[in-house]
Amino acid sequence: MLILRVGVLRRDQELPGRDLVAAVCGRNDDHLMSCTTKAISLNSHLSVIPKPAKARAKLLGSKFDVSELDGKRPSHRFRPGDVPPLLMSLLCVGLVTAVLFVLDHKLALNLVPVAYLIPVIIAATQWGIWPATLASVAGTAAADFFFLPPFYSFQVDDPQEAVDLMLFLVVALVSSNLASRLRRETEALRQREKEIQQLYEFSRRLAACFTVSDLISAIQNYLSRALGQQAAFFAAMADGHFEPPKSGPVPKVVQERVASMVAKIGVAAHVIVDEPTQNVWLVRAVCSETTVHGLVAVNIGSGSREVVDSRTRQVEDILEEVSLTLQRLDIERAMEDARLHLQAQLLRDAFHGTLSHELRSPLAAIRGSASVLDSMPLIRGDDRIHSLVEAISDEVADLDGFIQNLLSATRVTASGVNPRLEWADPRDIVDAAIQRRERRLSAHKIEIEFAEDLPLVNVDSGLIEESLGQLLENAAKYSPSGSTISVRTRAERGRVILSVSDQGVGITPDEQRQLGRRSFRSHRHQATIPGSGLGFWIASTFVRANGGTIDISSRGQGLGATASIALPGSRTEASGLTDE
Amino acid sequence: MNKSTNVVLLIDDEPKIRRFLRAGFELHGFSVLEAENAAEGLKAATFNAPDLIILDLDLPDLHGTEVLEGLRSWSNVPVIILSVVSNEDEKVRLLQSGADDYVVKPFGMAELLARAEAALRRYFKTATENPVVMAGPLSVDLVGRTVSLNENQIRLTRKEYRLLHILAMHVGLVVTHDQLLREIWSGNQRDNIQYLRILVRKLRQKIETDPNHPRLLVTESGVGYRLQARLENGLEG
Repeated sequence: MLILRVGVLRRDQELPGRDLVAAVCGRNDDHLMSCTTKAISLNSHLSVIPKPAKARAKLLGSKFDVSELDGKRPSHRFRPGDVPPLLMSLLCVGLVTAVLFVLDHKLALNLVPVAYLIPVIIAATQWGIWPATLASVAGTAAADFFFLPPFYSFQVDDPQEAVDLMLFLVVALVSSNLASRLRRETEALRQREKEIQQLYEFSRRLAACFTVSDLISAIQNYLSRALGQQAAFFAAMADGHFEPPKSGPVPKVVQERVASMVAKIGVAAHVIVDEPTQNVWLVRAVCSETTVHGLVAVNIGSGSREVVDSRTRQVEDILEEVSLTLQRLDIERAMEDARLHLQAQLLRDAFHGTLSHELRSPLAAIRGSASVLDSMPLIRGDDRIHSLVEAISDEVADLDGFIQNLLSATRVTASGVNPRLEWADPRDIVDAAIQRRERRLSAHKIEIEFAEDLPLVNVDSGLIEESLGQLLENAAKYSPSGSTISVRTRAERGRVILSVSDQGVGITPDEQRQLGRRSFRSHRHQATIPGSGLGFWIASTFVRANGGTIDISSRGQGLGATASIALPGSRTEASGLTDE
Repeated sequence: MNKSTNVVLLIDDEPKIRRFLRAGFELHGFSVLEAENAAEGLKAATFNAPDLIILDLDLPDLHGTEVLEGLRSWSNVPVIILSVVSNEDEKVRLLQSGADDYVVKPFGMAELLARAEAALRRYFKTATENPVVMAGPLSVDLVGRTVSLNENQIRLTRKEYRLLHILAMHVGLVVTHDQLLREIWSGNQRDNIQYLRILVRKLRQKIETDPNHPRLLVTESGVGYRLQARLENGLEG
């Protein structure tokens, strides 16, 4: 898997990241498996994973150095743990000596150079170079002491035997070195195989991630399993900070540092040392090309610089995998969003079609039929039947008004509102709005006032008429029957203000703040006054689309409210324009 | 306006709509023909020579606009459009391609009958040449070029009279902004709807009882103006 990506990257460095992700997303698991197997059988070194991040190279030195250090580290330093192997190798030499001692002296003398190589090879393959070297020296010494004349002395009489002994020592040292190197390499291979296996497992898990939270749990799982380390994830929040994990072993100093960081692209990586435990914590961003999803804090432990470097490398390797997966998720989400958007649009179109045709056609038949009935002399003569027919007409008109509202609302959400601007006389707009709602306003006294010399307004009259109508309906709904609703139109500093004042329940400052929201309805009236809460939202959207503003003021609860629409007026004075 | 019985052709694919239209028209002395699609409608228009056509826009075989264009290629018969869309641009387009007027569903029978009568009147006007148009308290003598309100002659400027003259020729029917601008002004003033708005305001001050609430010269928002044939009291049924 990893090797496959390297290949792709190397062959075509200019391949854009997204295509690469798409290419990688198209993999199947069999293919993945064969790639991985190949990777392991070729003994490919982890350090061939692509490294776009130069910063890492600076931090760690070259990859090659680090892996060399990994290999040599145990052979150059003594640790308390090295003592038993040394004793064991001495014991081996002793054992060989004892066996040789039992044998016939002449035979033993012939076997000596070969027999003493056995403990050296055992020590080299089992315990490393130091025990092997010790076994070489001890073997030489034992051979000299026990088997070369003069016996029980380190002296050597025969120069030929002295040369043999030196040769044996050299051979023993060389073979111990060779054998221990073999051992080291085997161990390193095994370690690499394990790491690749873990990374492969991790890639598999990433392939199955469909949300960011899947991904985060995959990261945490991997870090704790592969590194055996404590890890914590800080999710990025909407306000640009990071949310601390609910529980976890993160020390205070790390939490404080993270709290001071801001979630944006290019957020810096940090290495923080926790003073009391001397643990090194590595803090890295988890991000795709466009978004920072959070920070990972990993306890690297308190080992030597080499250990820290190698673990850092491992953490960064997986974060690279993670960022590729995040890009994939970003793409998937964008596609999902687009699909939802399309669906919503189709649904809205279907809804619009249903409303305007399937619902309105029967309404047209009912309204028309009722109007024919109403004009029949027979029915006009009978008051009871006539009032029933009128009721039908009225209800149909109400229903049609609601449908019109819904149509307006879908029009707002569908594509925004595209007003058809035209110079219009504000008087015409006000008259039409009042006339269209004459029936609903019939319980109230309507006072209409126009200022002299009103300028024309450049608006979509239909939309403004609808907005004003909504304000009128609200005024009628929220004020008692028989009270007065005044509609005033005046010019003010180049703008035309249409205002609707009622003597109703008024509006509280809290309600005022929420007014612009779609479907907002005050709790005070939800139980008593019917409505959908769409009215004011439609009105304000339509007015804004026409370059106007809408505003509601109230002197307080129970003191009535005034809703005003301000529209841009014509600059030229009306009376100056005409005639002969 | 009863010359004899007027024949009205209803072209609409919905039986429920045709049913009430038939009832409504028959109640007012029309004789009614029905067609449920464009092909039948065009055939009936050719062979039965109706006096008036009521045309729905949503037909199963052809869009109403195409039917209208087909009709207008050989006939001058008054056409009133039934539309569900209250879309001003479409209304203007239909009027420009020869429709006499439109009503938006749902509508009352009285509204449609008023339009129908206005369309028929205009159609026969050209034949009979009665020069005086009555619109409520207003009478306009198209030949003598005089206007009187409640029997009192009123003075209009040349442009005001021109505006009233055009509207009176189409009394009861809507006249588009374009047509008014084209017939009153010349040159680049033609495109300026602000002139028209202000001219209408001035004319209303002379002919309306309350110029702020016009009942004779009414605005058809986004489309044009209409001179009402009679004053209406409140909502029509």
